[in-house]
Amino acid sequence: MNMQVENKELTVGSVQITGVSSSSVFLIGDTQCITLSSIFDTPPESLIIGPLVPLAAEK
Amino acid sequence: MSRISVVKQITVNEIGLGSTLFVGDLVEVKPRSKALAIQREVANFYGNEGNLDSYAIFSRPIPIPSIYEDVKMEICSSNPFIKVGTVDILSISSSSLMQVGSNRTIDAETRTKHIRQLLPKDQKGT
Repeated sequence: MNMQVENKELTVGSVQITGVSSSSVFLIGDTQCITLSSIFDTPPESLIIGPLVPLAAEK
Repeated sequence: MSRISVVKQITVNEIGLGSTLFVGDLVEVKPRSKALAIQREVANFYGNEGNLDSYAIFSRPIPIPSIYEDVKMEICSSNPFIKVGTVDILSISSSSLMQVGSNRTIDAETRTKHIRQLLPKDQKGT
């Protein structure tokens, strides 16, 4: 596939963003390749109902 | 080939968890962040808690869609500037990137494990 891009004038007055989060990108410029991944795990077994036991300590 | 970015003013309140605000040109950025998000009914936390190795989410490979088409791109920049007046951001977090300038490759990855710990019914309100 051939793709032709012509960049003409690009002027933006103002940008307001609340949050750029979890592998997101806010780019003012040019780029070639972007790969963004974000994985989030909340399975049913992550809801623990019981006495509050601390998690295993870090090594 | 790449254009020049011109920004008059940038306001960012917070940058955290492996994130970057970069002004200038880059070749490759690879931000990574791993987070254990624990919510407890009783907010008792010990400083050394949490072992990332015991959760598969922090080590399993993330599938990336494969590119099967050969794309040839021709870029012609008749105006060499990208002009922006003001940028106002509240927060940049969890291996995110804000950049003013050009870039070749961005590869960001976030892994979050969320656990809720609640008290049994008979222990509530104690």
